[in-house]
Amino acid sequence: MRQWQTLVKKELIASFRDKKWIWVPLVLILLAVMDPVSNYYLPQILESVGGLPDGAVFEMPEVTATDAIGMSMGQLSSLGVLIFVLISMGTIAGERKSGVAELILVKPISYTTYIMSKWTGLLALVLVSYVISMLFAWYYIGLLYAFIPAGDFIFLLFFYGLWFILVATLSIFYNTVFNSPGLVAFGTIATIIVLSVITSLFGQKLNYSPSNLSNHALNYLQTGKIQGALIGSAVTTIIISALLLVWSIYIFQTKEHAS
Amino acid sequence: MSILTVTGLLKAYKDMTAVRGVDFSLSEGKCIALIGPNGAGKTTILRILAGLLKQTDGDVTFSGKEANADIREFIGYLPQYPVFPSWMTAREFLLFSGEIASLPKEEAARRAEDLAEQVGIKDALDKRISDFSGGMKQRLGIAQAIIHSPELLLLDEPVSSLDPIGRRDVLTLLERLKKEMTILFSTHILNDAEEVCDELLLLHQGEIMEAGSMEALRQKYQTSVIELEFQENPEQYLEKLKSLPGIMDCKLERQIIKIPAADIAEARKCIFQTATEENWPIIGFNLNRASLEDLFMKAVKQ
Ligand SMILES: Nc1ncnc2c1ncn2[C@@H]1O[C@H](COP(=O)(O)OP(=O)(O)OP(=O)(O)O)[C@@H](O)[C@H]1O
Ligand SMILES: [Mg+2]
Repeated sequence: MRQWQTLVKKELIASFRDKKWIWVPLVLILLAVMDPVSNYYLPQILESVGGLPDGAVFEMPEVTATDAIGMSMGQLSSLGVLIFVLISMGTIAGERKSGVAELILVKPISYTTYIMSKWTGLLALVLVSYVISMLFAWYYIGLLYAFIPAGDFIFLLFFYGLWFILVATLSIFYNTVFNSPGLVAFGTIATIIVLSVITSLFGQKLNYSPSNLSNHALNYLQTGKIQGALIGSAVTTIIISALLLVWSIYIFQTKEHAS
Repeated sequence: MSILTVTGLLKAYKDMTAVRGVDFSLSEGKCIALIGPNGAGKTTILRILAGLLKQTDGDVTFSGKEANADIREFIGYLPQYPVFPSWMTAREFLLFSGEIASLPKEEAARRAEDLAEQVGIKDALDKRISDFSGGMKQRLGIAQAIIHSPELLLLDEPVSSLDPIGRRDVLTLLERLKKEMTILFSTHILNDAEEVCDELLLLHQGEIMEAGSMEALRQKYQTSVIELEFQENPEQYLEKLKSLPGIMDCKLERQIIKIPAADIAEARKCIFQTATEENWPIIGFNLNRASLEDLFMKAVKQ
């Protein structure tokens, strides 16, 4: 337990000195706030560039607060995920490649502790950045559209957050599979894309797919009803993450730690 | 008493076998040199002992443990090219190393100070490792390897990359550490081995060619040469010398007679006896022992 703490502390200090604790939340805030805000000001923007040609009728669809937070989530699910992959692709693979791992793994720490500390350190950065960016989105949407009730928002935050836990775990998994950070990034992104393509192809059968988490969570905001599908995909996500983590530890234990 | 026993150790990579079934054991409290030319398999063996590589076959047994048990808590290891998390300061890294080796925080802090002093980086303790020179990194590497007071210290070419002063410092440090732990260090520089080691493991193309104490090996490969210098006309003594018992051959080189002898004591006795009886004008007597270098070449060429 103490070794785990020491290792997590090292991870946190490393990402702190890297300035990751500054730029990752900032970029995510930008992503989360960008679309709702620019959408709100769209009429003014159009006006200022000369307005619409005469006769053209432009029906602005009514955008609700739920639609707006959906835009934020869309950005986080695409570019946000990309950033999480970027900051995590070398967390283990890079350490092995450079040789730093050789100095650490020769000390009497269990490989489970090592992987768990990497996972914890990454998750801390990912989840804190995610929550901060979503809070900003919530606040601005509240100012410009309407405030989403705090309880509903926290509910959304929790369920949608599971998706990022899966993304982080997937990256840790590929970190134990591949020795090159580039391949780790490729594997993680490819898996996420394949998962979402399959999910949209077989939508009905794969209603519990982790890729559906954001849709189901938004659906809850709209209807105010907790549907089985939301719980279902949440459980699937948690189970897949747990299995991936155990699998990572297994792979890491059977691997050689010097190249 | 041996602290570690290795039997039939074999490491095969896809396209080559780096270690071909070696057997050896390390005596407790000794300093052992693992000597071999580039590519002999030194790093591979040390990494297997340190648990970083898995052997293809064979056993590594630590005294009192099962074969191939996890023995990392008893081992300190310095890689050939250590890479540190360079954003840390030396103190942070030593503390970190101590704590992941299960030392209590206060003790890790105390050991960090203490070891920094011993290896000579006390003034740089709070500097970022990225600002360290190669020699300082090597010293830090040794300090982190012994922070948890291991019983067996594995050092992969600890002095190869150092300048003469650094090399001297590290060898002196090893001399001191030798009293507290068993040391196995690899090198391709025979002088280093000769200076601090009690025992030798001579490795060549993944096989142990020779193993044993420094003295025993010297004896085995010894063909010492007696060098005799005369005041004048050394030629006239050549024939006489050749006829002496215990001397097979002798030749004249630059006015010095060189006599290779298997049994030094016997040859010396004969020479002195005759020289006294016949009152030879000897002005120099020198015993030239074969260096480890010769021994090394000889063993490798076999
Ligand atoms: N990962 C690997 N894959 C294939 N061959 C390898 C690998 N690592 C080492 N080798 C080969 O194994 C042999 C032994 O290598 P090793 O690094 O143990 O030698 P060494 O005695 O430490 O040499 P040096 O003095 O240069 O450090 C070499 O021929 C090397 O090419
Ligand atoms: Mg080597």
